[in-house]
Amino acid sequence: MNSFNSKRIPNIMAVIIIIMLGAGLKIVVDYSLTVDKEAGYLWAQKIFYYHVPSAWTAFLGYFIVMIAGVQFLRTGNRKWDQIGVASAELGTFFCLLILITGPIWGQAAWGQPWTWEPRLLTTLILFLLYVGYFMLRQFGGHYERIARNSAVLGIIAFLDVPIVYLSLKFWSADTQAHPQLGMSEQSSLVLNVFFFNLATFTLLFIYMVWYRIHILKLKQKQLELTHGL
Amino acid sequence: MFTALLKKDLLIELRSKEIVISMASFGVSVILLYSFSFNESPKTFSIFASGLLWMVFLFISVLGLHRSFSLEKEFDAIGLVLSAPVDRSLIFLSKWVSGFLFLLMAQIIIVPLFWLFLALDIPSQIGLWLLLFIMADLGIAAVGSLVAGITLRARMSEVLLPILLFPLVSPLLIAAVKSTDALMVGLPFEEWKVWGAIIFTFVIAFSVTGVLIFDYVSEE
Repeated sequence: MNSFNSKRIPNIMAVIIIIMLGAGLKIVVDYSLTVDKEAGYLWAQKIFYYHVPSAWTAFLGYFIVMIAGVQFLRTGNRKWDQIGVASAELGTFFCLLILITGPIWGQAAWGQPWTWEPRLLTTLILFLLYVGYFMLRQFGGHYERIARNSAVLGIIAFLDVPIVYLSLKFWSADTQAHPQLGMSEQSSLVLNVFFFNLATFTLLFIYMVWYRIHILKLKQKQLELTHGL
Repeated sequence: MFTALLKKDLLIELRSKEIVISMASFGVSVILLYSFSFNESPKTFSIFASGLLWMVFLFISVLGLHRSFSLEKEFDAIGLVLSAPVDRSLIFLSKWVSGFLFLLMAQIIIVPLFWLFLALDIPSQIGLWLLLFIMADLGIAAVGSLVAGITLRARMSEVLLPILLFPLVSPLLIAAVKSTDALMVGLPFEEWKVWGAIIFTFVIAFSVTGVLIFDYVSEE
């Protein structure tokens, strides 16, 4: 992971991601099909190509937080804490993107930005939980304690998600307004564009986490130098 | 060792009575505010009653948990407990059980007053009610003790505790409210067993996680 200093691979990756993002936008706006057959071919549907990859990336981020938490508690290696924080931050960033893109689509498709529906609520609850996570990191005390406690929190937060989702599903069993994933029914053009954007977002996520870890390492180095630790 | 730790918590509480009394009196004053706001139409209120009831329980459990854990901070009591040759998971278990007992005791005071002040119908199926309260309280106390342990030494722990606890406990709260709703209209258990299952899952998941992970939370 230290190879960020050498600049070459990260720079190539950044260029690729920028090209992919640009191309993705062009394809989505000009060529992609809309998905929702029930609502007609709504133009707002095209936000799906950004909404779902954001969701995927956010959950990937939170999954990595959980894995990094377990690894940190097992090994006590600072590297895992840095991976955990970076993933939590980027996971929450993409979570915020879900919460922004979702209501934009909702306004067009449902006529209202928000409904109390399982997936929306699960995302909101997860987002609030991670706001708490960052507050804990801010106010947690000394470094070791923060790292340990936030690792524990990352694990229990991830454990909580399936129970939250399940209970909300039963809670609002009659309001299944959120489009369900019916991947196999979609045409290949929809899927190709979707997977292209999914790949772009995943790469973007990896790049951002990598960069964030690089900064965290620099910060740690600076601390060590100034305090002579 | 577990009984010694639990006895310590209960004995402190028996002598000072501060946790249960503060939980109960806070709960009752919230109910008082409810009855001011809703006394126009008790019929409408009964629709929201179960949700509001569990909100009270959630608030008072934050109060109790915070007090119970901040007692440990005085004279660095937790440091002494930790330096004793005790399995750390036992500390979690004792806090879990004492938190559960305090919540249950406060509820014994609050619940009758809730029914009395808000003129609700007296329900049947007392056994099921008791079971629901015990299970849901066990769940709140389990995740609450875990979160209180995490936030114990943080600055602003009194704010961090509810901020972390409320989202985590939301599935339990939904299930408890739904079950209370069902019990209020006297539905048979068959029709709301899914909520019972969710509460049960929640209790198991967080008590096991607490036992396994509390070692790292309390490590110094």
